[in-house]
Amino acid sequence: MISAVFTRNQEQNILEFRITGHADSGPYGQDIVCAAVSALAITTVNGLKQVVHVNPKIISNETDGGLLKVLQLDERKESQILLETFANGISDIAANYPDNIKVKNIDN
Amino acid sequence: MIMDLQFFSHHKGGGSTTNGRNSAGRRLGTKSADGSTVTAGSIIYRQRGTHINPGENVGRGGDDTLFAKVNGVVKFERLGRDKRKVSVYPVAE
Repeated sequence: MISAVFTRNQEQNILEFRITGHADSGPYGQDIVCAAVSALAITTVNGLKQVVHVNPKIISNETDGGLLKVLQLDERKESQILLETFANGISDIAANYPDNIKVKNIDN
Repeated sequence: MIMDLQFFSHHKGGGSTTNGRNSAGRRLGTKSADGSTVTAGSIIYRQRGTHINPGENVGRGGDDTLFAKVNGVVKFERLGRDKRKVSVYPVAE
C-alpha cells in the first residue's frame, strides 16, 4: 500500500509531500498502480526542477524505491499549479485503486 | 530523477515469474527545456522517430536526436495541426 501525504498551509498551498510504500498491485514489471504513481511523482519532481526551475529538498531511496519526500516547496503559482495537478492525479488513482494507495492531506 | 516506472513497486518480488526482464530506460525526452539558452551542438530532445520535428537551426541525428546548430534560445512550437517542432533562435549579442 502506497501512502501519499500532502502537507498544506492555511491557504492550502502544498508545502511538502511524502510518498512511501509499495503498490503491490502486481509483480515487478507489471505493477500498473506503481507505474502510474511513479510516473506522476517523478514527472512532478523533474517538472519542478527543469521547467519551474526551483530546487526543493528531495529525499528518495533510488536503490529500493518506495520512498520519496519532497520538502521545502516554494509557494509560487507555477509550483503550486504543478503540485496541485499532481495531487489531483494521485487522488484520482487512489479513488480507483483504494487497496493500493491512500492519500492524506495534513494542515500545517 | 530518473523515470523509473517501478519506483513504488517491490524490487525484490517473491516467487518466480517468466517475466521480470526489463531493459534499462533509454532516458529519452527533453534535454533542453523551452526558453533555455543552448550552444551549437547541444542536444535538445532524445526520441525514437520524430515525436518532435526539427525546426529552424535544429538538426536531426541518426537516432532522431534533435540538436542545436547554432547558439540561441530553445523554442517548442506547433507544426501544422497536430505536430510539434523545436527551433533555436539566435540571441542578438
